[in-house]
Amino acid sequence: MLLWILLIIAVPTFALLKDRKALHTVSVGISVLLLLIAGFETRNVILNGTVEYDALGGIFFLDALSIIILDLVLIIGLMAAVFSTGYLNEELRHGKIEPGRLKLYYILMYTFMFTMVFALTVRNMGIMWIAIEATTLASAFLVGFYNDKRAIEATWKYVIICSVGIAIAMLGIIFLHLSSVGLFKGPQLLDWTVLYGNAAALKSPVLRLAFIFILIGFGTKAGLAPMHTWLPDAHSQAPSPISALLSGVLLNSAMYAIIRTVSIVNKNLGSSLFTGRILMAIGLLSIATAAVFIITQKDYKRLLAYSSIEHMGIIAFAIGIFSPAAVFAAIFHMINHSFTKSMLFFTSGNILQKYGTREISKVQGLLKILPVSGTVFFLGLFAIAGTPPFSVFASEFNIIAAVFERGNFLLGALFTLLLAIVFAGIALTLFGIFYLKGNQEVHKQDSAQITDKGEGSPMPDIGALPEKGEMSKSGVAVIVVLLAVIAIMGVYMPSPLKDLIISAQQIITGV
Amino acid sequence: MEGYNEILSVLILLTSFVLMANKRVKSYIRTFRLQSALIALTAGIMGIRSVINEGSYDVLVICIIIVVLKVIYIPNLLHKTFASVEYKVEKDFYFNIPLLILICCGLVVFTYFSISRVAGISEGEINSAVVNSVSLVLIGLFFMICRKKAIGQIVGFLVIENGLFVTAMFSTNGMPFIVDMGIFIDIITAVLIMGIIVFKINDEFDSIDINKLKNLRG
Amino acid sequence: MSNILYFMMQFITILLIAPLVNGIIGKVKALTQKRRGAPLLQMYFDLYKQCRKSAVVSETSSWIFKAAPYIVFSSAAAAALLVPATTLLAPEGFAGDIILMVYLLALGRFFMTLAGLDTGSTFGGMGSSREAMISSLMEPSILVSVFTLGLVAGTTSVFGIMHAMNRLAVPLAQPVFILIALSILIIIIAETSRIPVDDPATHLELTMVHEAMILEYSGRHLALMELGASIKQLVFITLLVNIFLPLDQFITLTGVAAIAVSLLLYLIKVVFVAVIIAIIEVGTVKFRFFSVPNLAALSFILAFIGFLQYFVLGR
Repeated sequence: MLLWILLIIAVPTFALLKDRKALHTVSVGISVLLLLIAGFETRNVILNGTVEYDALGGIFFLDALSIIILDLVLIIGLMAAVFSTGYLNEELRHGKIEPGRLKLYYILMYTFMFTMVFALTVRNMGIMWIAIEATTLASAFLVGFYNDKRAIEATWKYVIICSVGIAIAMLGIIFLHLSSVGLFKGPQLLDWTVLYGNAAALKSPVLRLAFIFILIGFGTKAGLAPMHTWLPDAHSQAPSPISALLSGVLLNSAMYAIIRTVSIVNKNLGSSLFTGRILMAIGLLSIATAAVFIITQKDYKRLLAYSSIEHMGIIAFAIGIFSPAAVFAAIFHMINHSFTKSMLFFTSGNILQKYGTREISKVQGLLKILPVSGTVFFLGLFAIAGTPPFSVFASEFNIIAAVFERGNFLLGALFTLLLAIVFAGIALTLFGIFYLKGNQEVHKQDSAQITDKGEGSPMPDIGALPEKGEMSKSGVAVIVVLLAVIAIMGVYMPSPLKDLIISAQQIITGV
Repeated sequence: MEGYNEILSVLILLTSFVLMANKRVKSYIRTFRLQSALIALTAGIMGIRSVINEGSYDVLVICIIIVVLKVIYIPNLLHKTFASVEYKVEKDFYFNIPLLILICCGLVVFTYFSISRVAGISEGEINSAVVNSVSLVLIGLFFMICRKKAIGQIVGFLVIENGLFVTAMFSTNGMPFIVDMGIFIDIITAVLIMGIIVFKINDEFDSIDINKLKNLRG
Repeated sequence: MSNILYFMMQFITILLIAPLVNGIIGKVKALTQKRRGAPLLQMYFDLYKQCRKSAVVSETSSWIFKAAPYIVFSSAAAAALLVPATTLLAPEGFAGDIILMVYLLALGRFFMTLAGLDTGSTFGGMGSSREAMISSLMEPSILVSVFTLGLVAGTTSVFGIMHAMNRLAVPLAQPVFILIALSILIIIIAETSRIPVDDPATHLELTMVHEAMILEYSGRHLALMELGASIKQLVFITLLVNIFLPLDQFITLTGVAAIAVSLLLYLIKVVFVAVIIAIIEVGTVKFRFFSVPNLAALSFILAFIGFLQYFVLGR
């Protein structure tokens, strides 16, 4: 509850502040406070199972599943806030954005955070829908923050595709409502705890229809293929901290809505066959689509965006299996993906500011120019592709194990094959940027070739390599912390976290 | 007046066909206004009934909001947006109108066959009204696909929203009040934001033809 | 006996009222344009005058040219006999079939287009080709609406349909009938050469359709053609008013008085529709010829959705 109040206060605070430093300080401060409150709520959830308040008609609700994603939102939010200070200072120094827009940036960012927190802490499906639609609207101008042609195009696609997708999810929620007509009254309507509790009484055929619409709708927001088309554009054009937020937490919030529906529908139908088939098909399609685009990608931020699609596909696939082990792995994967992907996006922000281009072929010698960022990016790519020491490997391995456990050998093989293709794709396209190519090639590059008007500062002498050195302390600190987190999580999972994930899995599967 | 909601649902569906057949931006904003007015009428009738039967004023309030928002404010806003971007008479759609209308017709048939297979909806008299309103959603989607201008897409989006609202009203006598209110707030914000982006598109691309948004691919 | 009475009554009613509809439409149009306009009975005078004049027939034309006016008139009149002006006076044994009615009118139209081609003049050919296009565009919507009506009433007999409608208190309160009625209204406008499709008052070569086909006619041939066209118009109007605005069920009288009241009501309804058509004519501009498919599509959609509504409702 405090979360809401704090966020609601936070937004106008930014409007009042003028000073750059004050803005940064307040932003980081608020994020830390939010995280503290969330820690407190997490403790409550671990102790009591759920957190509910009576105020505002009792719409506030938290359980293990939502608290995990909520914590993710707030941790990544804090990281983004810290990273933003260094990133925005750099942008200001190069005159990419005017000082006045800094205020707007923070207002929008915290509105965006607020809508996500709101979506995760309500118990009413309808209100959750409203909050998720609001995330689109709040982040629209963040995506188009640079106001150039490409950014505006990305914004338009983002707003239109997501709004329509979400509208279809609304149709699904209407049908969900229809399936329960006559069963509940007043505030119980569309309350998913009540829906889940009485799932057996709902009308199955209508519920199936509702599930399909909700999957398409929130799937659009979660970036599942074939509704993913907005995602690479928005992620590549947004400022890097925002890309990290979009990819690391927004997709999870949408996935959360899908997971809630899946658990209701599966409980009603008594098996996961119906939802499982659809989710697995969509999941595999997402991974395959991402694999194809990753192999041919020329823009590293877009590549990361496609990788997000891939990972959302993996999560959908795991939810589709719906065995306790698979759901556990799915939630764990969600956490890992959030950390790893936001770390990569932060790092890509550093690279972008240094090199001033998003094109893979124009970035080289990364390990030399940006020693820390380069190393983190290098390891991060290994991590996201699923190499052992990191946590993504652990969760992906669990998912694969779960598939084979269920006896779906063909699907398991296909899944593994696709992951291997993605791995190869990332390796092929990106690893070139870490080393220097021949010096001749560097000099041949004509500065006129660079037409990309994207974010970051255009380098005065593009043919030469940018000078050595990291961009900002905050930028480095954030990525190193995240790297440490994913490396540790790969080998050791703290037991409270494990318990939390297990109780979340029990909430979803019912066993 | 038993069958009034069927008649109104048919009329609302008809306006979406008229919308499809409209060529000019101005005329489809006008048709959208008409459609919203019909929806407001439906909500009004339902509201009065719920006041009489249950004594709740929720639906009536929603009806008033529709009138203010969708019949008056949003169409005016769209007109203003359209008036301030440079006006060019150009072909706004890809196929000719009869084909578009026939495709819409196909959508209605499709909706009918898909919805009628779902037991639980096809019971009772709400049935045809639900089919009509779900097809309204599909037609709105199709409208977005087949128009080139950004404003056309906004109108398409609004038609989808209308369709959703009508579906909710005909199938379940309306969503919970707070959800409805939230939806309205979202819609108005969405339209405002889209309007601003239309201005920006016009500034950057010198046209609101969204076919020119082709920079980001692959 | 009853049959003879029915056919007599029907023939006379239709023949008398048909030119009047044109008169009313003309008058309303004139009044909205602040003119006094021709008298209501102008068309009767025209017909009378034309009948007294000799007909000029082109030397290059064949027998079709001479036969066409009679065929057009008699097919329209035959169709008119199938569409009763009042449901209170029923023919025995033979109840007119609505599909037969549609194709009787099509027969007349077919000969009219042939006649337009027959003289070999450019206008005639142009009018015929346009007429053929319009009619083929309108055919689907006519058939779908007619079939839907047939399905609803469970019979294709015009009489049966009208009776079925009499049993429903207010047919226009049902979506299916609203849609079909609108569809038929559009069909009337297209079939009877009214303004968005064709301008009956024009002799501007670029836009003529109906007028172009009968351009070569004169004297009694012209009179028959025009009378045939106006009867056709009245047939459609009768169909519209007697199916969708049935009032006969409210008449409590019996015998001749009932029939008289019914006919009077019928006349009022026809006048009402004529005024509506006139208002539509005043309020719209003529479409470009290639926009006519849009209108046809709209009419088709109306009929088809009507059909679907009926289907969905399962009544």
